[in-house]
This record gives sequence, C-alpha cells and structure tokens, in this order.
Amino acid sequence: MPISPIIRPAALLAALTLAALSIGCGPTYVRGNQVEGLDDAAMSTGIDRRDIEQLLHENLTSLMASPVAKAWAHDGSRPTLAIYPLSNQTSEHIDSQLQALLSDVETYLAQASLVTVVSVERQQQMVAEVEKQHGGGFDPSHIAEYNRQLGAKYYLTGKVFTADERTEDERRVQYFMFMQLIEVATSAVAWQNRAAFTKALIQE
Amino acid sequence: MRRRHAGLAGRKRAALAPLALLLGLWQAACGGHEDRVRTALQALDRGAPAEAVAALNEQLEVETAAQLPALRGDNALLLLDRGNILLSMDSYRLSARDLGAADKSIDLLDMSRGAAHDLGKYLFSDDVGPYKAPAYEKLLINTINMMNYLAQRDLSGARVEARRLAVMQRYLRDHEGETALLGLGSYLAGLAFEKSSQTDEALLHYDDALRHGSYPSLRRPLRALTRGEPRSPRIAALIEGEAPPPPLDETGEAELIVVVGFGRVPQKVPQRLPIGLALTLVANDLSPTDRARASELAAKGLVTWVNYPTLARGKGGYSIPTLKLDGRSQPMEQALDVEAQVRAAWKKNEGTVILSAITRTLARIAAGEAAQGATEAAAEDSGPLGLLVGLLTSATLTALDTPDTRGWSTLPARIAIARTRVRAGTHDVVVGVRGESRRARVSVAAGGWAFVPVMVLR
Repeated sequence: MPISPIIRPAALLAALTLAALSIGCGPTYVRGNQVEGLDDAAMSTGIDRRDIEQLLHENLTSLMASPVAKAWAHDGSRPTLAIYPLSNQTSEHIDSQLQALLSDVETYLAQASLVTVVSVERQQQMVAEVEKQHGGGFDPSHIAEYNRQLGAKYYLTGKVFTADERTEDERRVQYFMFMQLIEVATSAVAWQNRAAFTKALIQE
Repeated sequence: MRRRHAGLAGRKRAALAPLALLLGLWQAACGGHEDRVRTALQALDRGAPAEAVAALNEQLEVETAAQLPALRGDNALLLLDRGNILLSMDSYRLSARDLGAADKSIDLLDMSRGAAHDLGKYLFSDDVGPYKAPAYEKLLINTINMMNYLAQRDLSGARVEARRLAVMQRYLRDHEGETALLGLGSYLAGLAFEKSSQTDEALLHYDDALRHGSYPSLRRPLRALTRGEPRSPRIAALIEGEAPPPPLDETGEAELIVVVGFGRVPQKVPQRLPIGLALTLVANDLSPTDRARASELAAKGLVTWVNYPTLARGKGGYSIPTLKLDGRSQPMEQALDVEAQVRAAWKKNEGTVILSAITRTLARIAAGEAAQGATEAAAEDSGPLGLLVGLLTSATLTALDTPDTRGWSTLPARIAIARTRVRAGTHDVVVGVRGESRRARVSVAAGGWAFVPVMVLR
C-alpha cells in the first residue's frame, strides 16, 4: 500500500519533537526536608549518608552484642580505646565518608560509656607528630608506636573493599567493610564483623 | 469566497508548521564542539593556561575553577579539559576533583544513549545525544588522575584511580580487545602500589605495563623490588643480567619520578568532502540502493558535499623533552604516544563516520522532498510554496548537521617518563619542552620518593 505523502512529514515531525524533548529541563537546588525521600536516592556508586548509617548500625549492633563489650559492661572497667582510619581498598574516593563514619563510631562509643575513647582529633595530631619523623601520613605499620603514646588498651580499625564490575551499560560496586577490635597487649582480635552493601549504575 | 480563502490560509498555516519548527531549531542550533574549546586552545597555544581555564569556565557557566559546573550536555568533556590544564598549572587538588567528576559523568553518558538519540543522530547530526568516549580517553582519565594523587603523595587516592583503571582495562579487554590498553596507566598503578608497600599488586601492574612497552626505567626499581626473584617472564626478561641494588633506605637514597606530557593530540575538525570522493571512500560499505540514490542526487547537483569530522594536525609529535636534575642531564623515555592512539582509534571509525554522513545527507534530501509533497497536497494552489518548504527543510537539516567534533582536546600528544635514584635532600628539576622551561624544587627523605608531573599543552 502506498504511504500517504502527509504521513512522512508527520513522522518527521514526531521524530523532531522526540529529539527536542530529549533536551529536558534545568536543575534546581533543594533541601532534604523539601523533598520526601531525597536521602533515599542513590546518586553515585560512592558511599552516602544512608550507607554510612547502615554500616554503623550493623557494626555497632554486632560490637555491642560481642562478648568483649558484655565483659566491659559487666566489670565497668572502661578501658581506653583508640580508633584508627579505615583503610580504603575500594575503587571509589570515599576517604572523607569513612572519616565521617569513624566520627559517628566515636560519638556512639563515647555515649555508650563502656570505654574511654581517645579523641579522634587528638589522635590525628599525635599521628602527625609521630609521622613527622617518618615523613608521611598515617601508616598502619606504626600502630604499635601510636598505641604506646596514647596508652590505649584496645584499638578499633578496619578495611573497606569493593568488587567493581562494568558491563556495556551497567556498573556495579559491591562494598565489603571489615571492622576489628584488637587488644593492644596481645594483638588478639577481640571482635570482628563484616557489613556489605551494593551500589550500581543500571539501565532502566 | 472568503470561506475558501480562510480554508486555504489554514492549510498553508498547517503546511508551514513544520517549517516554523525547523526554523526554530535552526536558530537554536550552535556550532560544533570545536567552537566551545577554540578560545581555550588558542590561549594554550600562547602559553596562557590561566586564560584557557577562564575561557572554559565561561563555557561551563561558572566564575572560577573552584566551582564545579552542572554536568549536563557535553560539560563533562570541558571538565576533562579544565582538569588537564589545572594539572599543567600544578593545581593538583582541583584537577583531581575535575577529572574525578568527569570520570563519573562519562560513565553515565556512556550508558545513557537511547533510541531517541540514535534517531537524532540519523536525522540531524553525529553530535546529537550523549558523548561516547573512545577507549583511550576512558583509560587516560584514571591514568592522568593518578598523576594528580601521586603529585600530592596521596597514595590512597592513587590506588583508587589504579583500581578504577583496572576495572576499565578489564572491561575493554573483554569487549574491545587489547588495542586500547595503555601501558603508562599500569606503570603508574604499579608505582602507587609499590610505594604503598603492596608489592604483589605492584608487580601485577608492572607486568601489565611491560605487555605494552619496554620501559627501561623500570629495570632498576624492579630489580630492587623483586630482589632478583621475578614473578613473571616479562619481568624476568627486563631485570636479568645484574644483581639487585640495595633498598633505598639502606643506601640513604630516595627516588624521583618525573612525567612530562607535551604537545596536544590532533583535534577533530569539521570537513566538507565532495560527494564523489566520499562515495569512493566508502564504496564497499554503502548499500547498492543508497549508492545509486546518492549518485543520482549527485548527478542532479542536489548533493555536492557531505559534512564529516576529521583529525587536524597534532602538536608536539616530534618534540623531545629534556630533563636536568641539579644541572645534570637525565635520560627520558617515551611512556606513551597518545597521538598514535587517537589516530588509530580514528582510522578504525572513519569509514563509519563518512557513511553516516552520506546516509544523513540522503535522509535530508528525502525529508525535503516529503515536505514539498505535503505542502503541495495541502495547498492545491501553493505555487512555489511547496518547493520553498522542501528546499528550506533540506537546508535547515543541513544547517543543523554539525559534524561530531567532540573529544578530549587537551590531551598531551606524548608522555615521557624518567625515574632515578637521588641522594636524600633537596633537588632542582628543570624540564625543557616545546619552547618552555619548567622548574620544580623537590625535597625527599632517605627511602622516600617524589613524583613531579609536568604538562606543557601547546
């Protein structure tokens, strides 16, 4: 059947309109309380506040349920605890988010009154002083030296890893966070936990 | 009579609607990507990187380089350019931020091309729709950003870039073969892990680098790192013949790594090619029907040219950088010929680009004929109106057809590297390339290291 000459320009017009629509509208800045569920949306494959809350919840729930925490609660000894940076072994630049996570851990443990937490800020100053002699930043291999200076009985540390994969139209980043509580005198692992979550860029 | 006139006027208005829409789009149309970066590149040619950044800021609609623009349209590409220029100005922190933001945005663009974009590409222009970065650009984002982190001695940041690079390398190896896997990225990834005391990972990356280049500057560091026990045949072949040197902290020495990026890769520029020549170039790829149609239109004089992008001359392809350390000349080796990567990628796609330009030209003529037919059918006494609508439709689509000249315009044409042991203390580094002399003073502790990136983008 021959196509009407009117149809072809109509199809052309539709195509032009479609292409013009793809230009879209401009962005608008908003506050979290202006848009319901704003914090729920994933906007990148990095770590955001919601991920931090999930990690914090999982890890601290596990720590508080551990035998060592129960022993502290029972004997009321309030040992000194140092908190060291979590090592970023991921494919995302999340160092500042991990720092925020540690500050949240510090706040929680200080409020729980089970341990005496060395101030993260004071600890960083001390690390900087030690590392002046070594010519660098925080070095996990110098933890024993830091602990001597801080008088810590336990220290909390950890690592974050990712399994990062990409296909033609998707990218998936699976995070695995391991946190450990180490007894300084014996280097024994007093508690360990793994928390995991996934972020991805997918085709809808 | 009045009613008939009113009816005719209505039909003419209806016929003119597509014309009005096309004219509106014509007005909205702008030049190709080369127009957006022209001022910045001219400033780089004059050796004025700050002016180049200001020109890009204007395009990005921000006031200073401290601001990140909205990542819409092709802003991610301009951000790559700005990041590269900021690196050349030793603004490593801002450069790392720009390249990092662009990296994520390019990922997003890469995965967002849809049917509407393909339709626009078919009807209007190659540069309709999101930019799809070629493989070498994706790999160089992480490679160059590693330089920013190494220059700041931020090994954690450098390792993140190294891991991002490895993900992309793995993807490209699985999907596009080995051609785009650049050795320099693996070299720098090896360096990041070596200086983080993660020897196993460092050796994996160094081994990968040696798949793509000989890198004599790695010989001594690898002898020291492996202590004479190579983990792979490639590393064994490189380090054989001499005993491993003592570790840096035993000798009280330090290591200095200087990376020099110079010149600029060839930019994509629009080119008008006679239709006859274009048809010859893609004779084997064009369908017989399209070839016959194109030849017929060419014979009628309706199609004389096709618009398509081509590569201009690069800058700096034959330059040789010099390096003086405390006044003494040091050898530099070629780490990467970026221009060769750009030309190879272009050669691979050139036929498709020309073919697409010819197909689009045929579509434009067809659209013009359709519009003319529709106008004549709608307005019986349209007179020359039908022809005018047809010609304007075709002409408007021609005007909208901007060849896709998008690309990372400020990539250096070549990158050279020097790696040497120095005594602990302060050293003067002088790099001479492309008529410029860059100086840096670095202090290194015993057993330490310093990374000095130098970009001369002219």
